[in-house]
Amino acid sequence: MTDSEKCAVWTLGVVALTVIAYFTFVKLLGSGPASQSVFALLALTAVPATSRRHWKGIGFDERERQISGKALLAGFRALWLVFIGLVMTIGFVKGWDATLSLPMWMLSATVWWSAMLLLAVQSVTTLVLYRRGSHA
Amino acid sequence: MPSEKTEIRNHIRRLRFEHGEMTQDDLAKQAGVTRHTIMALEAGKYFPSLLLAFRIARTFGVGVDQVFVYVEVSEPAP
Repeated sequence: MTDSEKCAVWTLGVVALTVIAYFTFVKLLGSGPASQSVFALLALTAVPATSRRHWKGIGFDERERQISGKALLAGFRALWLVFIGLVMTIGFVKGWDATLSLPMWMLSATVWWSAMLLLAVQSVTTLVLYRRGSHA
Repeated sequence: MPSEKTEIRNHIRRLRFEHGEMTQDDLAKQAGVTRHTIMALEAGKYFPSLLLAFRIARTFGVGVDQVFVYVEVSEPAP
């Protein structure tokens, strides 16, 4: 398994842990500001950057860079599709002239969920491309 | 009507063995890539850039056309 695949597996694990922790907190504390603290767990995604390879200064080769770029693009595509879908759905359900009043924590939660979606899709795409071949 | 699919095949595995059973790791170091990339190339899972193709060919002391072959594969119509 390459370093990039290990990093992708780690990231998926962190996202899964965060999702589980979030719903556990919501059940125990309710979906208010207190439950937002679990998103701090996402900081664990930075751990692979401190790997031995990183400190040795070994860079990505062309295939790794290509896969990394494609995976990031897939993540942003997914994020964009969900964003468009959400905006359209809210518009059609609530009406285009409706006014929404949301608590501030919900805004920050939206950003965190977006980040998790991006990381999850990026990681899955990385794993798929390493197995299937990056030119596929 | 049969459709034509193009792909790039390579003789890296054969050339490695012809060059004193060179390991994938040795070739990777000389070409400036990881061993996983050499594995992917040999398995036909990755098509290299022109630069990497030239680097690999130079490692073996042969021309690019002796390492990589452009082929058109005819697929029977469904």
